[in-house]
Amino acid sequence: MSLIRLIILSLFIFTQLKADTIYNLIKIPNLEIYNIKTPNKLRYLYAKQPFTLGLDNNINCYDSEKKDLDQRYKIIEKNLNRYDQNFLKKINLKYIVLCEDLSISKINTAGIPDYIMKTLILDIKFNKNYFERVIHHEVFHIINDSYKNIFNEKVWSSFNNKEFEYAECSTCTDKLGLDTYTNTKGFFSEYSRSTASEDMAEVFSHLMIGIKLNNLDPILEKKINFIKSNLLKIDKNFIL
Amino acid sequence: MIEKIKASRSEKIIFTFVIILAIFSFSFFFLIKDKCLFVKNYDPQKINFDNPRNIAILNVSCGNVIIELYPDISPNAVERFKELVKSEAYDDVAFHRVIKDTLVQAGDLEFGKKENLDYGKIGTGKSGLGTINSEIEAPFNFEKGSVGLARTQKYNTEDSQFFIILRDEPLYETEYTPIGKVIYGLEALEKIKYLDKSQYVLRPDFINSLRMLIN
Repeated sequence: MSLIRLIILSLFIFTQLKADTIYNLIKIPNLEIYNIKTPNKLRYLYAKQPFTLGLDNNINCYDSEKKDLDQRYKIIEKNLNRYDQNFLKKINLKYIVLCEDLSISKINTAGIPDYIMKTLILDIKFNKNYFERVIHHEVFHIINDSYKNIFNEKVWSSFNNKEFEYAECSTCTDKLGLDTYTNTKGFFSEYSRSTASEDMAEVFSHLMIGIKLNNLDPILEKKINFIKSNLLKIDKNFIL
Repeated sequence: MIEKIKASRSEKIIFTFVIILAIFSFSFFFLIKDKCLFVKNYDPQKINFDNPRNIAILNVSCGNVIIELYPDISPNAVERFKELVKSEAYDDVAFHRVIKDTLVQAGDLEFGKKENLDYGKIGTGKSGLGTINSEIEAPFNFEKGSVGLARTQKYNTEDSQFFIILRDEPLYETEYTPIGKVIYGLEALEKIKYLDKSQYVLRPDFINSLRMLIN
């Protein structure tokens, strides 16, 4: 027993300090550079090992196989290349972390945005049917967090019918469906009904993927105009 | 009568071996202690520089480190650095943050001075001149030997602390304000004292002097 202790102790004593530049910059361990030579200067990083984050270690994500990473990276880069360097700078987004089975408090999620650390963590294994849309959905959360005063939730909520109320938080409800409604009635998807912020992100992401609706309801029309006009306040050259 | 005993052949070999071993041990004791043994010391007076007004000489225990400053890339940061160099503010300031083969950081003028070293606060000190804005827009290749101004987690908090990287750090571009590059003597920085278990150094090495080639 004492021999095992001695071995463990010696490992502890002789383990050298490893310099981790990425950790120093964005406070996420176990990452390596995937690609940093991108037209809009986004820096793509990937998990070389699983990592855990958060005060209660409630955020978890795992490393991926290279072929999965390469495959999904093409889709992610194609979509994120739609945001130019200037816009990304304004919304404070610089690092994209690619990993799989991303969860927060054991609830699977497509992405975790953190505009303070300029980082968006993306689950590359997220449902293929919604994958491209959720990339833009998560980008919107960065935009929203950076410009809370512009995307006023009270103004947004006033577009809905008076009897409608959002939930307290996006995970406090079972309204998690991401399929696009054929009959919108003010919302693009079931998930839109969870919170004002998720509703905005759903409108934005549907606009980004170029959704075409034959009959746009008046509530959704107001919401779309709200998103469009406010994006132009951030960047007058922004093209949806 | 004392009979003289002749050493046998094998005894002579062992004796010679012990003597040689003693000589080696003695010499290595002094050679190994001299960490600067194989570090070349550059004399800036013997080097021709394209722009001598932008050359700074950092003198450390193993010799001179010659830095070329880039005012065209980061005018405000270089101006601040030159101002502090010209006032000799960096003399006797600790290399308080050192990561082996990665970077050395110095320049805490408040808590890093040899006569006023404060291990509890080192790295948080100010110059008294206030902070300056980050200059991170211009493209800059943070290759080995690049010199940049350190900051807190927030931008626009650069002051007097600077770092020199000992390996390429491409992610530093647009994160840190570059002020120049080491053009001679980087080896002297590789000998700066570091700790295996911590980035912050107890009983650190100090800057002997930091001067502009032409004041």
